[in-house]
Order: sequence, then structure tokens, then C-alpha cells
Amino acid sequence: MLCDNCKHNEATVLIKEIRNGKATSINLCAECARLKEQQGELGALGFNLAEVLFDIGKFTKALKSGAGKPELEVPREVAEAICPKCGWSAEKLRQHAGQLGCPECYRTFAPLVEGAVARIQRGLVHLGKRPVGGAAGGAVAMRLEMERLQRELKELIRKEEYEAAAVSRDRIAALKRELDAGGTDREVR
Amino acid sequence: MEGKVEALFRNPSGILSSDAPGNDIAISSRVRLARNPADRMFPLRESEDERREFAAEVAAAVPEIERLGGADALVFDPEHMGAIEREVLLERYLASREFNARPEGALLAVRPDERASLMVNEDDALRIQCLRPGFQLDEAWEEASALDDELGSVFKYAFDEKLGFLTADPTNVGTGMRASVMLHLPGLVLTNQIASAVAAVGKLNIAVRGLYGEGSENLGNMYQVSNQSTLGESEKQIIDRLGAVVSQLVEREENTRKLLMERDQHGMLDVIGRSYGVLKHSHRLSSEEALKCLSGVRLGVDMRLFKSLDVDRVNTVFMAISPAHLQKRAGRELDQSERDVCRAAFCREHLN
Repeated sequence: MLCDNCKHNEATVLIKEIRNGKATSINLCAECARLKEQQGELGALGFNLAEVLFDIGKFTKALKSGAGKPELEVPREVAEAICPKCGWSAEKLRQHAGQLGCPECYRTFAPLVEGAVARIQRGLVHLGKRPVGGAAGGAVAMRLEMERLQRELKELIRKEEYEAAAVSRDRIAALKRELDAGGTDREVR
Repeated sequence: MEGKVEALFRNPSGILSSDAPGNDIAISSRVRLARNPADRMFPLRESEDERREFAAEVAAAVPEIERLGGADALVFDPEHMGAIEREVLLERYLASREFNARPEGALLAVRPDERASLMVNEDDALRIQCLRPGFQLDEAWEEASALDDELGSVFKYAFDEKLGFLTADPTNVGTGMRASVMLHLPGLVLTNQIASAVAAVGKLNIAVRGLYGEGSENLGNMYQVSNQSTLGESEKQIIDRLGAVVSQLVEREENTRKLLMERDQHGMLDVIGRSYGVLKHSHRLSSEEALKCLSGVRLGVDMRLFKSLDVDRVNTVFMAISPAHLQKRAGRELDQSERDVCRAAFCREHLN
């Protein structure tokens, strides 16, 4: 099925909304869904994509308790994914309040995990300690995150979202400090 | 097993001690680290036998782990313990509710001073915990990190370059660290400032919970303040941010107490005196009432109003009157009404 929005890509996200007892559904490709969420259009439907994606348990509970709330299914490739290492599924994730089955699940359910992380954490990249004897790479991860934040900052300034831009700017400054202070040490370890 | 719980339960907990800086209002500090071995599934996904197998591996390694007390470490096997004894561990902050809910294949190793411990097969395979009396977050973190390094040389951790330490629940991913401070805030409660303080703190990604976690708010005016986010900042940054919030709450509590003494001295003395009176003369005391009154007495001790009572005595009673401790002392299961009688008797005897 093609995306209802761009009519070009394959649709992977299904959004169902029940309003006044009448069900409507929209099929979107991942790109359009992301765009719509960023533009707050999905918010207008009454929910936030990341929140729905991660907080599946709560969301289905809310669905049961009140009619008229929209239903969003996880992207099909994730909904149907089975972790090759432990056999965990999105359904299991739902049953166990977002708990994963094994370290490999972080890769298997990456879109779900990323949504969760973006919603609940203050940053997207680990800046803390590393395991003893672990491989170098902390500084590399920090540089990647800094580049990502710099792109985000430009975009936010362009959209004149100055409050959010200030947050990104502070994060970049913090990363710079961290890199200057601990970068070499990390690489040695 | 029996002997080990015996060794613990009569003592005041190692974290409730007067030899700590700033322990009037900040009662204790705790740092927990969640870790998992790279080559195993998370405990939830493992069978009971798989969990037992890993627990046995850890048990074999414990005598080599210096920060757990080495050969002196107390090792508990919850599967073969009674419910009351498991509750004693919970009341001493050594075990969590989640840990006690699934004893099959669980293991707990505790350093004899109770300031360092390791839960095996809780939500995560390894949960390191360091506790300190008073406001000592930095010290608790340094100790936890050192214990983490020791364990990390035995077990290869699940670690991702971008996401950090991988945990069963993504809300712990990254540092895997929960740091918390237990605060006694009767002044803020008496003056109805607590709700606004909790709301303000919440905006800073800092959570405030009651004595026994969620749902126990306002039990004995005790509040646990902890970080919510575990990724995107270093451990030190998280601890500094939490520490700054704790310092502000402590300062506000101190100022409120001073103000209350200036403006309503009789009101303050009345709260403290009545609290002492109830503990000293009751013959039936619920947990809630006892903790409330103990809060009043603790406030009086902080303000040096009692000649014969010190904070160590208050702490001893605080721990001893919790339900499982009372039952352990009695040597049998007690129903609620029996517990209330025993609790009152203990308070009468020990708050002389």
C-alpha cells in the first residue's frame, strides 16, 4: 500500500482514529509520519508519536478506558520483528511494560527504543563511564552527537524556535567541555 | 541463612548513622547501577534454571570482590528464605520490591556494614548499590563505581557505544544509574510548601517519592529525591544536578524550621511534645502514626530539645518498628493488631 500523504513510498505506519463512533485510518510512510509529527500534525490528532510508540502499555490501557482516542500501530517491520537472539516480540514488549528481552533487542526494536529514549532521557548519547577494558569510542560517539546537535540547532534557528535552540546550544557546549576534559582519557581506556 | 539475617536485623542499619555530614535533614544517600552481562538475556527472559546458573556464577565470584567484603560478604538466597526475612532485607533498603517478587534464581550479596551490596537477577542481572548515611552522593557514587569496576573485570557487560550500558528497561539505559537522597522534611510539610517544592523539582527531571517508593508519600515526612534521566549526561553531571536540588531543599527546610520557631514557637514545641508523648505512652501504634510521631521526635532531636535522646536512638527505633523487623524480633508471624501492640511496646521501652 502506498502512503496516503506522498503517494510514493510504501506505507509502514497505520494511524486509526475513532471519532464520534466512526473509524478513520491513514496509512503513512515512515518519512511522512516523522514529518507530520515534527509539524505537530499528529499532535493535533491527540497524541505524540514517540509517547505512543514507547508507552504502549499505558496507551492500550487508555484506549480501553476511553473511546474516541486514536490508535497508532507500530511500523510493520517492527511490529512483526522477532529478536534473533531471544525471540522477544513487540507484543511481549507491550505485555511487559516496555521491558526488553536481551541486549540484542536494542537493535531489533531500534525504532521503538529510540522513541522511548527521546521521550524520557535528557540526551541521546551516553556520556558516562565505560566498562573497564572496553574499546575506545566514547569520544567518537560524542563527536557524532555534537554534529547531530549542530544540524538540529541550525534547523531550530531557521524555524525560529529559540527556546529549543538554546537547549541544543547548551548541550553542544556541555559536549565540548566533556570532550576537552575527558576525550583523551576515554580514548586511552 | 537464619544466622545472617539475625546478624543484620538487630543493628541500626549501616546507613542510618550519626557519623555523617549534614545528616539532620538528609538522612541517607544511595547510588544504584544497573548492569547486564553481554552474552546473556535479561533476567525476565531467562528461565529459572538459567537465572540460577548465573546466580551461582556470581556467588562463586563474590569472595574475590573486595568491595563486597570479599570472603566476609553475606550472601542471601531469597529462594530459600521466609517471606518475613525477605521483607527485612527490603526494610533495610538492601532488596527492592521487584527483587522480592521473583525469588527464583535471585541472589543478594551484602558487605557486613550494609553500605555496599549487589542484587542478582532483579530487573537487570546485576544491580550494584552503595548507601551512605547523610548527604554523601559523591562518596556513594565513587564507591559504586569502584565496585562496578571490580565486577566489570569478572563479567563482560552489555555496552553500546552510543547508548551506553544496556538495561532491561530503556528508562535506565546509558549510565544505568539511579542516585537518590532520603530527606526528612517536616517543616515543608507543616507549612504546606511540600507540594510546590515537589512540582518545582519535577521540572528538573528529578523525581520525589515516599519512604518506600511510589505511593508511600508523606510517610513520616520522608521523601526520596532521585534522578529520572540516565542518558545524555555523565554520572557526575547527574549527581551534581541532583545534589544542587537536594541542597536547595535542605536549605529551604532549615529556613522554614527557623521561621517556625520564631513565629510559632509554642506550635512547634506542641508538635514535638505530643509526638514524644504518643510514642512514650501508647499501647497500640500503627506504622503510619509511629512514623509520623518519630518524625516529630527527630525534629526535636535536630533542634537539641531532648537531653537524653540522640539521632542514633531515633534511627534504631525507626528501623526496628517496621513490620518485618517486629516479626523477626518476635520470632513469629504477627497480624496487624499484634504488630501495633509490639510496636508501641518497643517505642515505650526505647524512647526513655
